[in-house]
Amino acid sequence: MSDVTFELRRQPETWLDLSALTPDKLHGHTLTAIKAIRLRCGRRAGNVGDLFQVSGDDPLSLRFVDACRSFVRLGHGMTRGRIRVNGHAGHYLGQDMRGGQITVRGSAGNWLGAGMSGGSIEISGDAGDFIGAAVAGAMHGMTGGNIVVGGNAGKRAADRMRRGTILVLGDAGDFAGSRMIAGTLLILGLARTGVGYGMRRGTIVLGRMPAHVPVTFNDCGRLKMEFLRLLFKQTADSRKRFGYFREFGPEARRFAGDIAAGGQGEILVLLNASRRRSA
Amino acid sequence: MLVRLKGAVVYDPMHGIDGRRMDLFIRDGIMVPAPRRDTRIDHTYDVRDRIVMAGAIDIHTHIGGGKVNIARALLPEDHMPYAVQGSPILRAGSGHAVPTSFITGYRYAEMGYTACFEPAMLPANARHAHAEMADVPIVDTGAYALLGNDDFLLRLLAGKTGQKVINDYVAWIVNATHAHGVKVVNPGGISAFKFNQRDLDLDVRHEHYGVSPRRILKALARAVHELGICHPLHVHGCNLGVPGNAETTLKTIAAVEGLPLHLTHVQFHSYGREGDRGFSSAAARIAEAVNSNPNISIDVGQVMFGQTVTASGDTMLQYRGRRHAHPKKWVCMDIECDAGCGVVPFLYRDHNFVNALQWCVGLELFLQVRDPWRIFLTTDHPNGAPFTTYPRLIRLLMDRAFRAEMLDRIHPEARKSSILDSLDREYSLAEIAIMTRAAPARSLGLQTRGHLGRGAAADITVYEPNRNAERMFSKPALVFKDGVLVVRDGKVIQSTSGQVHATRPAYDRGIERVLKQYFDRYHTVSLGNFRIGSDELLGFGRSAISVHPCVPR
Repeated sequence: MSDVTFELRRQPETWLDLSALTPDKLHGHTLTAIKAIRLRCGRRAGNVGDLFQVSGDDPLSLRFVDACRSFVRLGHGMTRGRIRVNGHAGHYLGQDMRGGQITVRGSAGNWLGAGMSGGSIEISGDAGDFIGAAVAGAMHGMTGGNIVVGGNAGKRAADRMRRGTILVLGDAGDFAGSRMIAGTLLILGLARTGVGYGMRRGTIVLGRMPAHVPVTFNDCGRLKMEFLRLLFKQTADSRKRFGYFREFGPEARRFAGDIAAGGQGEILVLLNASRRRSA
Repeated sequence: MLVRLKGAVVYDPMHGIDGRRMDLFIRDGIMVPAPRRDTRIDHTYDVRDRIVMAGAIDIHTHIGGGKVNIARALLPEDHMPYAVQGSPILRAGSGHAVPTSFITGYRYAEMGYTACFEPAMLPANARHAHAEMADVPIVDTGAYALLGNDDFLLRLLAGKTGQKVINDYVAWIVNATHAHGVKVVNPGGISAFKFNQRDLDLDVRHEHYGVSPRRILKALARAVHELGICHPLHVHGCNLGVPGNAETTLKTIAAVEGLPLHLTHVQFHSYGREGDRGFSSAAARIAEAVNSNPNISIDVGQVMFGQTVTASGDTMLQYRGRRHAHPKKWVCMDIECDAGCGVVPFLYRDHNFVNALQWCVGLELFLQVRDPWRIFLTTDHPNGAPFTTYPRLIRLLMDRAFRAEMLDRIHPEARKSSILDSLDREYSLAEIAIMTRAAPARSLGLQTRGHLGRGAAADITVYEPNRNAERMFSKPALVFKDGVLVVRDGKVIQSTSGQVHATRPAYDRGIERVLKQYFDRYHTVSLGNFRIGSDELLGFGRSAISVHPCVPR
C-alpha cells in the first residue's frame, strides 16, 4: 500500500477548494473514481484528474507534493487518516477537523485549524492569522485537538478558542489568545500587542516577557506551577525533537485576566525557558 | 412571438377555471386569447395532462433590508455548509434559512413563485432594501413601508393632529420609498422599548408619547383606506408569541371598526393560556373571528420544524426571546427614528411542547378559516421556517393521512391539547391556487398577476401531477416569468430581472415643509436624499416599476 499522492499539473489561477479530498471521503474509492471527483476552482469546477497527477492506492494516507497558496479547505472536517503536504497548504487547513493527522512541511495560511475539535495539525513553517480561531460569526474557535506551528503565527491566534492546545515555537502576531474561552496557547517566542485581550478563561504560556501586558491583567507575581511540568513532559514525550521541553522549569510570572471579561484566564510568562528553534 | 401551451389542465380561480383542459397562448410575455386558426404559432410546449397555474405570489417574506443581512452575518453556519457553485448563467451563493439574494430568487423560481413581497421595509433602510431586492433575480418584488413606531408619526398622534396630515405623511413615505403598502409592527411597542417599557398591550399608553397601540392602528388603517392603497394595513400586532395573546388579536380585529386589515403571521398571535403549562391553542376563536369579519384577511406564518432564524423589527419581542436563541447568539438594535431590529436564531423542535403546539396552531388556522381568499400561505420566512418548506406545508394541507403521520411524531401533550386530529379538511388544488396566487394578487391589487386571463403577465407554473403534493410543488416542470422560460424540471435555466411593484397615493405637498424641518433637526439624511428617485430605483437593476393605481376613499 502506498500513499495516494497528488501532484499539481499546473498552478491554479484562483482558489482551489480541496474539502472533497479527505481520507474519510476518499476511503473505498479507486484511483479512477478519485480522478473523477469534481473540485471547485473559483467560479469553475474541474476534475481531480485534470488538476493533479494522482498515484498510489491507500486513500487513508494522502500526500500533496508542491502544494500552493491557492489551496483552500484542505482536510476540512476530516475524522481519521493522514494528510501530508509539501509546500504552502493554503487557507482553512484542517478547518472543523475532528480527527486524524495533518503534517505540513512548509507553511499554511489563515484560519489554520479554525473550529477544529480533534486530531492534530503540525506545520514546520509559519502560519497565517486566526489559527485555531473562530470563523467570522462563530461563537467559538477550536474545541479540541492539537496544533503545532514550527515558525511564527499571525494575528489573533486562538481567538475564541475553547479547548485543545496550540503550540507556537516562534513568535505570534497581535492579539494572540484574544477572547479565549478556555484551552491552552503556548508561544515560545514573542507575543505582540494585546496578548490575551478579552480572554475569559484558559491559559496562555509565553516563553518570553512581552513588551507590555494589557492593563486589564493583574500581576500575581512569581509562582511555581506543577501543571507546567506536566505540560512540558507531555510535549517532550509527544515528539523526539521536543525533548528540550524537559529542561523547562515550572516557575512562571502569572498575570490574571482579562479582568474586563471576568478575569478567570491567565498569562504565564516562563522564567527559564530556553528558546530553541527546532527548524 | 406567439407561444402555445397545449393541453394544459388549468387552475385559474380568478376566472372560475377549476381544472379545465385548454390551450394557453402567450404573445410577447402577455396572455392572449386563442388566435384564429390560421395564425402561425412560433413555439408549442406540450403540457398535456399537466397542471398549470399562474406564478405563485408570496405576500409576506423577509428577503431584503437590514435584518436579513444581519442574520447572514450572524450565522456563518447557515452558509458554509450550503455553498452553491456559480455557473455561466447563475450566480454563486449560499445559505439555508437566510440564503443570499441570488439564491433566494433561484429557489423561489424553482418552486414556481414569481413575486415576493418584503413586509418590513423601514423607510430609513428603503434604499438598501430595494437595492438588495434588485439582486433577487427572476421574481418581482415589492415592499411595505414600516410605520407606527416612527418618532414623527407618534409626535403627530401625541399632538392630536388631524387625520388629513397623517394621511399626507403616510402617502409621502409610500411615495418616497417606493412602497407597495404599509405595515405596522407592534404598534408603538418598538418605540416604547426604547423608553424601557418591556411590553405594551393594545390599550396601554406609550410612556413618552402617551399614545396607545389602538390609536396608532386606527390612524394607520384609516390612512391606508382613505388614500386608497390597495393592500390593507399589514399588521403585526401586539404581544407576539405571548401566551394569551389571542385576546389582544381579537381586540385588534374589533379596534379597526370594520376597516380592512391584514393580520400577518397570525399563528404567533393565536395563543391561549389554558392547560397545565399555561399555553394553549386559540386558533378556533381566531378563525371564527376571521370567518365572521369579511374586512379581515390573514396570513398564517406556519412553523415548520428545523433550524431557522427569526428576524423582526419588533425589538421588544426579540429581546424577550433572546434566551431561546439557538445557536446562542442574538442581535437587537435601534434603527434611527424609525424602529428597531432583532435577529434571534431559532430551532423549532417537534419534541418540544411549545414548538409542536405552534405547529398545530398554524395548521388549525389553515383548516378552520373557511374562505381561502382571505388566508394566505406563508411561514413568515425565515421566522417560522425558510420558504423552501412551502411544498411540504402544501402537502400537510392537502393530505390528511400525511398530516396524521406527522402529528404522531410531535410532543404527545401538544398533540393531546390540539384539535388537529379531528379536522379532516383537505385543501383542493383550486384552493391552493387561490391562496397562493389569486388571493394575494387581489389583496395586493396586482391586476396582471395571479391569473391567466387575457392581458395577464405570462407568469406561469406548470406542474407534473403527483399524488405527493410535496413532490409536485417542489419541482415544477416549467416556469415562465413574463413569458420567458426560466425553470425546467425544477432547475433554473435562465435568469431574468423582475419588476418592482409600487403604489403612489396622492398627498398635499405642504407636508414636505413640516417634514423638512423635522429631517433637518433629527434625521441623519436630508429630506431630498431620503427620497429614492425612480431612476435610482431602476438603476439598482429591476426591469421596470409597475405602479398600481390608488382609489382614494
